[in-house]
Amino acid sequence: MSIVEVKELRKQYDPPKGVLAVDGVSFDIAEGEIFSLLGPNGAGKSTTISMLSCLLKPTDGDAMIAGNSIVHQSLAVKETIGVVPQDIALYPDMSARENLLFWGRMYGLSGDALKKRVDEVLELVMLVDRQKDRVEKFSGGMKRRVNIGVALLHKPRVLYLDEPTVGIDPQSRRSILDGILALRDQGMTILYTTHYMAEAQELSDRIAIVDHGKMIANGTHEELVKIVGEEARVEARVDRDLAGVAERWREVEGVVKVDREEDDVVLLARDPNEVLPRLFESAAAAGVRITEINVTEPNLEMVFLHLTGRALRD
Amino acid sequence: MTKIIAIAWKDLRSTARNVPALVMMLLAPLALAALLGFAFGGGGGFDIAATKVTVANEDEGSPSSIVTAGCVVAGILESPDLKDVLEVTRKSSAEAARTAVDDGKAAVAVIIPADFSAVVYGGGTTARTQVELYENPTQEVGGSIVEGVVGQALLEFNGARAAAAGAVALSGGDREAALAAAKAAEQFTRSGGVTAGLQISQRPPQLPGDKSAQDISITGSILAGMMVFFMFFGAANVARTILDEDRAGTLPRLFTTPTSYGAILGGKFTSVFVTVTIQAVVLLVAGRLIFGIEWGRMDAVVLLTLVAAGVSSGLALLVISLTRTPAQAGAIGAGVYLVLALAGGNFTGTAQAGGAFGIVQKFTPNGWLLQGWDTTMRGGGSGDIRWQLLVPLGFAVAFFFFAVLRIRRRFA
Amino acid sequence: MRYAWILAGKDLLQTVRDKLSFIFILVMPLAFTLFFGLLFGGGSDRLPLAVNDADGGAAAKQLVAALQDSSVVKVTLEGASDAERAVDDDKAAAALLIPKAYSADVEAGRAARLTIVATEGSSGAATVASEVRSVAGEQVAVELAARAAAEAVRSTGSASHISSEGAVEESAARARPVAAQVLAQPAATVDVVEAGTAAGQVPSGFVLSSPGMLVNFIMFSLITAGVALILERGNGTLQRLMTTRVRRWELIGGKAAGMFILTFAQQILLLGVGQLFFGVDYLRDPAALFLMMVSLSLVASTLGLLLAAVLKSEQALIATSVIVSMAVSALSGAWFPLEITGPAFQFVGHLLPTAWILDGLRGIVVRGFDVADVLPALGVAVVWSAAFFVLAVWRFRLSD
Repeated sequence: MSIVEVKELRKQYDPPKGVLAVDGVSFDIAEGEIFSLLGPNGAGKSTTISMLSCLLKPTDGDAMIAGNSIVHQSLAVKETIGVVPQDIALYPDMSARENLLFWGRMYGLSGDALKKRVDEVLELVMLVDRQKDRVEKFSGGMKRRVNIGVALLHKPRVLYLDEPTVGIDPQSRRSILDGILALRDQGMTILYTTHYMAEAQELSDRIAIVDHGKMIANGTHEELVKIVGEEARVEARVDRDLAGVAERWREVEGVVKVDREEDDVVLLARDPNEVLPRLFESAAAAGVRITEINVTEPNLEMVFLHLTGRALRD
Repeated sequence: MTKIIAIAWKDLRSTARNVPALVMMLLAPLALAALLGFAFGGGGGFDIAATKVTVANEDEGSPSSIVTAGCVVAGILESPDLKDVLEVTRKSSAEAARTAVDDGKAAVAVIIPADFSAVVYGGGTTARTQVELYENPTQEVGGSIVEGVVGQALLEFNGARAAAAGAVALSGGDREAALAAAKAAEQFTRSGGVTAGLQISQRPPQLPGDKSAQDISITGSILAGMMVFFMFFGAANVARTILDEDRAGTLPRLFTTPTSYGAILGGKFTSVFVTVTIQAVVLLVAGRLIFGIEWGRMDAVVLLTLVAAGVSSGLALLVISLTRTPAQAGAIGAGVYLVLALAGGNFTGTAQAGGAFGIVQKFTPNGWLLQGWDTTMRGGGSGDIRWQLLVPLGFAVAFFFFAVLRIRRRFA
Repeated sequence: MRYAWILAGKDLLQTVRDKLSFIFILVMPLAFTLFFGLLFGGGSDRLPLAVNDADGGAAAKQLVAALQDSSVVKVTLEGASDAERAVDDDKAAAALLIPKAYSADVEAGRAARLTIVATEGSSGAATVASEVRSVAGEQVAVELAARAAAEAVRSTGSASHISSEGAVEESAARARPVAAQVLAQPAATVDVVEAGTAAGQVPSGFVLSSPGMLVNFIMFSLITAGVALILERGNGTLQRLMTTRVRRWELIGGKAAGMFILTFAQQILLLGVGQLFFGVDYLRDPAALFLMMVSLSLVASTLGLLLAAVLKSEQALIATSVIVSMAVSALSGAWFPLEITGPAFQFVGHLLPTAWILDGLRGIVVRGFDVADVLPALGVAVVWSAAFFVLAVWRFRLSD
């Protein structure tokens, strides 16, 4: 049962000649699933989330969140979603607790129920000790945790996270990712945007790759990776006779393709674990030493490169 | 409704923690009122510094009198009654006196010509003489005072001459005529002249139904002007948070919550209004406690305060609805408020009655409010300031209307 | 040194690009000046005087007639409470209440009473009161003079037929026209000569207030200049500049130069309007004017710089700028002539460079000051500006 159904969403700023930020994006998210929108900066991820948050009106198309249309039933939609914006959206001169209390009120909570929920969220984001300190004094990681906490106050059914780990230290990132997984385990549906392939890979049940406003691929990690085939990429450097080695390796079992790129031999192999020893053997037999070797399993970067001709990290 | 209150309360708390805003809203008007009150000599009337006058008496006297007329005029200027108003020095020549004015050492030079006594005490009917007042034109007030004093003095002389002429006309024969003339002149002067014959008193206007016409304390008038002016800024500070929050992301975030658009903006508008009302109340109380200002009847005070809050809020919201960034809003707003304040008389008081200035004032909501405060401080009630409430209220409604239109369009 | 000018150029470019603010910096003071100039520039109006004649007698009517002929006041006849209200509503500069006994008192040679109703401190009221006193005084003088003549003639016995009171009255009546004629062409009059102006020309209200408004607006522009600097500090570019070869004082000097040019341009605009449209003769001595303009811009730019150097946020800057510029304007005589304030206030005011500059500007326009006359003001301005600049360089914070 899809809790989020996005149908041909389009957004054009200043029609008819303006920028087409989102061009016909469609996808579904099942309840309890983590769904990622992966794409480089400027792909249209934030615009899509803005539309799904009812901040921007779509130029065309619609989306149903838990059965409510973002175009016609925005207030109902807002009751069911929690939005964690990319930039910290908190009141710096107020404490963590004061921020949570205020936002809780904006979500319709009040009285003792509000206070209790705020306590719960503070526990969740592990800021009980610092709850009375002003947010402006927090570290970046702490601010992000409060930022997320705000979105959880009203126990939303769907949580949107817009690039929540940009520019923070590895430790904080780790704790955020763990937190997200924990939320999913408790049944929350999560829509996650990022340009970090590793995150999308680790967190998501399904991933949609977007570029220039269009969705260019959609599926599980395995399904996507299959687009570029199942071969791993092996890059090797040898101490001599590059051309000769390349030729010999063409004959090795399990090697699908061999190329030369400058000083490297680049080959695609079906199962690196089995192929690598054979490569070493072959090289040794020719009296050639392998000085460097790199193995890259098929990943989303490669998928993106394959589909767009550009690197994900451009 | 609770959401509106929650938003307003959050902003209010934020303002209470914002030191520059508090300084601007509360400290500044009080400090400036104190400064200007000090300028004008404190709570009582207008105490101006004594005008510096220099007198060059070139009068050579006349055979018919021991005392020269010039000395009389100089004596009048130097009289102890005028001690607080005129600071008189003597110069030996007209040139020296004029130079003193040119050099800025005196505001006015009174130059009594050599033939003064001769003409004034003389019997001729065609002789004329002039006392020259050489004035620094940038010091109008001092100049007028001296013109008044000297003019009065000359009137006495002319009056005595008129009496003498009258006596001559009435009597027959030359010898008796001369005697009579002298007697008449003496009689005129001895009876006190015009100074005794005409008594002009001045008082402030008395409104019907009032037992006492209170003189407004100058500080009260100034503080009222400062209060309204700084309420513009107080409102602007809070209104600007709409732009600040838009930039910081908290405003868009508010729009993702199930709080209606109307509630969010309504909350903001309420913030502005409540903040500025509290500011006014604090200033009114402070004015009473620190400067002893009697603001007047409660009904008028309350209504004036609320209308002023409405005007400030509406204006502040209109300004931010027309600007893009907080910096722009700050700078442009400040300029708009300054112009309105200058035109409305916030800095100069409503004492500039009549004429062109009065017309200009009527184009500003604050001008009307200040008039209302004027009346209220002199004892008027809400019935007396109907127009002074309705006109600014009209301004406030118009400001709000256009502000809401533009803000809605921007954040839709 | 070069960097300072480059920086100044960049700042000015940014200012011009922010069209809304730019238009505002220029348009608003201009519009205000034009507006005010149009209202006040046309020479002085007659001040409205509400007169209530509760007497109706000959003397009262004569007084009213004489006032109606006056070039200083414009008379409207009102009922008593209407007259009071007119003053209260600022429709009249003052009201004159002629009581019932007036004519009788005047004709009998007794002390006659008049009441002037006005708001305290109104300069319009003072002028009106002075005129009333003058006109009424003349009228009363005629009566008193005639009466004195009659009494004198009786007591010297020079006209034997005058022996009784009634006859005195009659004689006074005969003496009256003679007295009136003498007073209509008095022997002694006052000749008011305004120092420095061409003979007979009285500067209008606008001429005197224009320099004050100029100072006020320029001081207010501290805000725009300062805000830009603070924003720059906030976005990190200022700090980045310090990683280049630019030296600290060059950086600050460049900022000050930008502000100087901006305020100078503003002054040119405002002074131009005053000169061309309203006949405020600033160009009477162009050299002296130039020095005053330089002085004002120096003070404004270095003070703006100091404030921006020291204060943390836009809000703090705006708050402080508003307060400082208002206090300075008031103390310098921009809002009201310092002559109507107490001596202590004038003393404090003249510690400030702006008071000197204002005196200089007014002096140029009305009293024909030349370069020598404004040098003291220039000196004071330079000293203050140098102090501001040094403090700014010392206290300048490059980052938040």
